[in-house]
Amino acid sequence: MALAADIQGGPSGPPSDRPRTVGRRQLSDTQAAWLLLAPLLIFFGVSVVFPVIETIRLSFYDIRGLAPARFDGWGNYSTLFSDPNFLRSLRVTLVWAISATVFSVAIGWGLAMLCALDPRRTLVFRIMIFAAYGVSEAVSGFMWLGIYRPDYGLLNGILEGVGLSGLTQPWLGNPSTALGAVIVAYVWTQVGLPLMTCFASIQSIPKNLFEAAYIDGAKPASVMRHIIAPLSMPGVRVAIFINLLNSLKAFDLIFMLTGGGPVRSTETVGFFMYRESMLNFKLGYGAASTVILLIAVLVVSIPLILKRTADAR
Amino acid sequence: MTLRVPNAKTPLRGCAATLAAMICFGTPALALDGELVMINWLGGAQGEMMDKLQEDFEARNPGVTVRNVVPQAGGDARGGIRAVLMGGEQADLLVNTWPAFRAELIEAGLIVPLDEAYEANGWGEKLGESWRALSIVDGANYGLTYTFGDRSGIWYRTDTMEKAGIAPPETFEEFVGDFAALKDAGITPISVPAKVWAHAEWFESLLLRTAGADYMARLAAGEASWTDEEVKAALSKWKEMIEAGCCDDGNTMLALDWDISVDAALKTGDAAYVLMGMWLNTRAKQEYGETPGEDFDIVQFPAMGLGHDDESMVDAKEFNVLSSVENREAADAFMTYMLTADAAGIMAEYGLASPSSDVDPSIYDPVIQRSVDEVAGASKLQFVLGDLLPGDLGSEYRVALQRFLQDPSDETIDMVTGQLADVAERAY
Amino acid sequence: MIGRTPPWILPLVGLIALVWIVPIVGLVVTSLRPISEVILGWWSLDEFTLTLDAWIVVWDKYPLAYAFWISCKIAIISTVIPMLLAPAAAYAFHFLKFRFRRLLLILIINAFVLPNQVVIIPLFRLWRDLGMIDNIWSVIIPFAGLSFAWAVFLVKNYLEDFPTELIEAAQIDACGPLARFFYIVLPNALTPIAAVGILQFMWTWNGLLLPVVFLRDELPLPALLARIQGVYDRNWDQVAVAAIITTIVPLIVFVVFQRFFTAGAQTRTGGKE
Repeated sequence: MALAADIQGGPSGPPSDRPRTVGRRQLSDTQAAWLLLAPLLIFFGVSVVFPVIETIRLSFYDIRGLAPARFDGWGNYSTLFSDPNFLRSLRVTLVWAISATVFSVAIGWGLAMLCALDPRRTLVFRIMIFAAYGVSEAVSGFMWLGIYRPDYGLLNGILEGVGLSGLTQPWLGNPSTALGAVIVAYVWTQVGLPLMTCFASIQSIPKNLFEAAYIDGAKPASVMRHIIAPLSMPGVRVAIFINLLNSLKAFDLIFMLTGGGPVRSTETVGFFMYRESMLNFKLGYGAASTVILLIAVLVVSIPLILKRTADAR
Repeated sequence: MTLRVPNAKTPLRGCAATLAAMICFGTPALALDGELVMINWLGGAQGEMMDKLQEDFEARNPGVTVRNVVPQAGGDARGGIRAVLMGGEQADLLVNTWPAFRAELIEAGLIVPLDEAYEANGWGEKLGESWRALSIVDGANYGLTYTFGDRSGIWYRTDTMEKAGIAPPETFEEFVGDFAALKDAGITPISVPAKVWAHAEWFESLLLRTAGADYMARLAAGEASWTDEEVKAALSKWKEMIEAGCCDDGNTMLALDWDISVDAALKTGDAAYVLMGMWLNTRAKQEYGETPGEDFDIVQFPAMGLGHDDESMVDAKEFNVLSSVENREAADAFMTYMLTADAAGIMAEYGLASPSSDVDPSIYDPVIQRSVDEVAGASKLQFVLGDLLPGDLGSEYRVALQRFLQDPSDETIDMVTGQLADVAERAY
Repeated sequence: MIGRTPPWILPLVGLIALVWIVPIVGLVVTSLRPISEVILGWWSLDEFTLTLDAWIVVWDKYPLAYAFWISCKIAIISTVIPMLLAPAAAYAFHFLKFRFRRLLLILIINAFVLPNQVVIIPLFRLWRDLGMIDNIWSVIIPFAGLSFAWAVFLVKNYLEDFPTELIEAAQIDACGPLARFFYIVLPNALTPIAAVGILQFMWTWNGLLLPVVFLRDELPLPALLARIQGVYDRNWDQVAVAAIITTIVPLIVFVVFQRFFTAGAQTRTGGKE
């Protein structure tokens, strides 16, 4: 990184090798670490570890409604992989998660860079865009339903108004346009997050870097490309992480707009999980799909995390 | 809807009232007291109505406070109710509108039979035979039906009929024949909301007229197969209607949820008919500001001459008593109260009908009156099929009908019924 | 202000923002018009009457003040906890060496995949056994616990840019790991902490699922207002009122906290200090 390039390692090598100064009572790294982590681990253990273990346990049972649970071993898993609805939902999820994340992060990042050039006066606009993130998904779904309505919807109304009536259609009813339509609505709600995190990232770039660049006569576009873009990466990474994983869990918006249809063409794994766990109340089956999702994400994230933490001090 | 907060004054009022009752009337009846816990998932207007009923009940029985357990909502309330029950929450009464759910509760031993209570409280005098029959499972009665709705009623605007110069149809031939006149007047004959569940109503009504309530009951119980001729016949009738130009194109139907369809039929008049439950009455009155009987009306599903024309599809809500019940007296008393004329009066304000024979039908507006008459005069009542099907068969069923609407051909009919039969095998 | 601002920035961003806010304008309009007018779409201009009916109804029927207080308690406590603990954890994971460091990190971050529904039923039984139903801590603990997955990731990402020479300098002055955290890292990590604060506040303030299941009488605002909707009548005008009331507070938090985004930039210079 540009910043780290001017900084050498400390005078006597990496910190953990250096001898601890005697005379001052100090904690070792390990002791300090556990002290700092203990409260978090308690919260985390209760609210996350315990339910996850329960979920894994449940995934081995066949539970239908309120009937007593029957131990089923790998039954749920084998059914899942031969269930065309589940397999379709995996495909839909891939398209959904990747497009939603790419578009929302790209737009948010771009807007953040523009806003960073005039933070004070763009505050109002940033609030407006963040408001879309603050409104609950269900309510957003309602507003977009109004836009996509085939009879009196805003979108079709605008198309007719500008003379493009040929393009009007039942956006949410046509299996080829439904997914795209829902993605647009979802991106609308999600851009606020990358906008905020990238903007925050950019705001913490030390000012003297900019001064130096302007002294050297750089134009705004070049400043954006060489200084802002690379140094806003933490914000971008966070935005990708949060948006990607939230898109896997997204449910309310899809429920409002299409109910998973038409003919299940907008059913993501998140929706599938909800349908099986809450509507059909096949808790074991729903749990199994959650476990598969967890494993899929682990498979992707573990190498990434290992790589990034390998070079930490 | 006012939120209930436990009121410390109630027990005191209770004591005073009991004392007064004893002094004035001599022998006191068993004074009801304590808390009545109800699993109440009703929201919106129905939630308000239930609140009013509870308040009225508390006023008449000052010793009792009613507390609601509100399960997490989200589309189908059953998921939340199951979560509440599995979590071991204690409650006395449950509002139930799904016979399939009732069956699940019985199998899990979570609700108790009410036959003795029927005897002791004389409910049989107020509730007709066919209403009692709706909640009987394997010979024992598990529920008390407190409201019902006609699901065989087709709604229309009176001025739409005038515009096209037709009268509400009585036979299926008239019904389909009128489509041409409607289309000439620029009106889509039927608005079918196929986005989630409401399109199933058309299939079910057709099936009722072609195959009858007995067959539908067997189909719901898994004793008949989805690949039977009866099912295919009903779908073919629907194909006939579509070919006669009844509806929008497939994708448009799939984009419509029930509220858009009813807007089209009853508000803007872009469509002529919509098949919907009685809550449409409340919507039309409150949200469109229209007058039942004048601006809009309903007509019963047209006759097909196949011997099942006097049967009606209904939905109903009942009370179940949970096995974790603690205040049985109050629970029974509440159910008795629901069959009184006072309770029916409150329900009528919200456009809901009561099956109790204590009720004077003149409190209902013309549309509700018509539906009540039709149901009362029906020879057989059939509960909405979609609410009778177990879990995943229910969702698969609705998606299958969507596929049919996308391409209503004989091949699709065969494919779709085959798929349903497969899912049904695993479900039962 | 970073140097000169090209004049086309404001109009461009402004235009985008105005288009962006159209649905929200619709929300406000829906709350101010009678439902019979907006039922086909809030932009329909056949009849146009403005009315405060929906607002008055919501105001009268629901004990908003108490629910607001509960929402504040839940959101503030659930936000302060990760604001304090996530930087501590991120610091530990990034700057300290200890066993299980990477394993723990993997566990914590991947927990973000979990949908809330997975957490509900097991926790419901636990809270019931502990008698904690209707206690706001039954909601605060999972809100905090679930937040660490993304909060630790967020703070850690910002810390990776942290100039290590400040830490070196502190070590020369014989500061232990804890002191280094409190005196050096924490004051300079205001940006990610503010970001965590904004997001967590918004999510816990708007959070519906957990409060509806774990709480009975102590209902926060969104849970209270969820009862406005019935299955057959959606009451969209009142729902719009509820949405507006609920969304305003996190927006205010956003405006206040985002001032901290520039806090780090002053102290961190590119060169040696």
